[in-house]
Amino acid sequence: MLEVPGLVRPYLRRPYSVADADSEKGEIEFLVKTIGRGTEALERLSEGSTVNLLGPLGNSFSVEGVPSGRRAAVVAGGIGAAPFPLLFRAVARRGASCDFYFGGKTGAELSLRSRFEEVVPGKTILATDDGSLGERGLVTQVFERRAAAGEPYAIVFACGPMPMLSALSRVVSKLRVSAEFSTEAEMGCGFGVCLGCVIAGAEKPFLISCQEGPILKPEKIAWERV
Amino acid sequence: MSSLLSVKLGPLELKNPILTASGTFGYGLEFTDFVDLSSLGGICTKGLSLKPHAGNPPPRICETPAGMLNAIGLQNIGVEAFLRDKLPKLKALGATVIANVWGDLEKDYVTVVRALEGADGLAALELNISCPNVEKGGMLFGNSPKATASLVARVRKATRRPLIVKLSPNAPDLVESARAAHESGADILSLVNTFVGMAIDPETARPRLSFGTGGLSGPAIKPLAVRMVFQVARALPGVPLIGIGGISELPDVLEFLAAGATAVQIGTANFKDPGVSGRLVEELVRYCAERQKPVVSLVGRAERLPAKADEAGAEG
Repeated sequence: MLEVPGLVRPYLRRPYSVADADSEKGEIEFLVKTIGRGTEALERLSEGSTVNLLGPLGNSFSVEGVPSGRRAAVVAGGIGAAPFPLLFRAVARRGASCDFYFGGKTGAELSLRSRFEEVVPGKTILATDDGSLGERGLVTQVFERRAAAGEPYAIVFACGPMPMLSALSRVVSKLRVSAEFSTEAEMGCGFGVCLGCVIAGAEKPFLISCQEGPILKPEKIAWERV
Repeated sequence: MSSLLSVKLGPLELKNPILTASGTFGYGLEFTDFVDLSSLGGICTKGLSLKPHAGNPPPRICETPAGMLNAIGLQNIGVEAFLRDKLPKLKALGATVIANVWGDLEKDYVTVVRALEGADGLAALELNISCPNVEKGGMLFGNSPKATASLVARVRKATRRPLIVKLSPNAPDLVESARAAHESGADILSLVNTFVGMAIDPETARPRLSFGTGGLSGPAIKPLAVRMVFQVARALPGVPLIGIGGISELPDVLEFLAAGATAVQIGTANFKDPGVSGRLVEELVRYCAERQKPVVSLVGRAERLPAKADEAGAEG
């Protein structure tokens, strides 16, 4: 959770996933798209400014779910690519590979792709709704086509808007491949107290995204109530 | 040093006047990385019902200027799980625990209060008659002085513990509600809960919260809450009050004390800054020590000034 100190508008901290971290240099990287007051406040900061950080919070993708020599897939929509540089490097370190399915409405939404050029330990497949870059179609459809045709993936990691994740939940269930989704919810505190960030659960009424997630297995979510 | 900060609210003695507000502090245990729970005057638990309660569907919160709206809907683990899983740990950590209680019907409140009566390690009860985010119970008891009086009288008979009643700022006449609660047996009044508000997405014209309306909290409500504490303090002299509403720094605490509150609860600020309550205790210790003044001498200073502010009111 990040905040620009001293502001009452935006008032609450905002949740961001860690894109990458370098413990030797003591650096943490966030990939941020300006969409509202919280991200605007970050964008206005000049170099060398201070932010308040509360974290790390919540759980992580199970990189250990990709055995050495096996292949995983990442499916990301737009700024949903943010958490994956670190994951790609972790998968590569295990001697496993990982394909990167990266989709957006237009090519402009995929401008982050250059950040991934060096780090993806596998193929990068771009998809745009308007066909302006990569394959035409929803990234979930492009993923389904290729995944059904090729060697099965050990696990699928995904992040993006909830409608995309909902569509992907049907795809992974059909393909019988295990998956972990980094979910999206309006978050107040980030440590399980305000109970604002709940997501409808399959086995219980609600999952607390910040505490039980934000990474959840799709079968734990009641998609029809999302 | 600590005696400078100790306060007495009727039968309830607290080591200092900084408490945390129900619904903003979980069951306390979530905060142990940020606050020494034993350093606080007290913690008010998430509102407890007899059975676990799932709460409202999302979206449940939305940010507003200098605050937020919430319609959580009193999601909680239920009184049994609280007594089994939370209270013993809180006691071991030296926390002063105030159990916040709610129900749909009068008898539900009484059942929860009875279940808590034998428990070891509870300092007081706080009745939530002011939650705006449930279909039944909650605010319905707080919005009518008659309903308030009936509920408080029944609960009073069921407990020997210090009884706090948390008032709704949405009541048509807050002073009458406060009087009803006090005359029916409340030892202490806490005020205020959240203000009913609403936010609408300008593009889709849909309410931003699934419940439609929600409770407004945060710095945005502080002047309203200060005014209400001031009014009730003046109307009901001698009734111990706990001030709540947008407190996030020491001057806010001092302001509520001046208005007539003997203690305060920190609410929404806990979300933004989980260490804030512990820091406010330290700052208040320093403030009182530097001036060699006990905190009780700061209570009601504004209220003792010549009458004026409570008369002018909204017409001004």
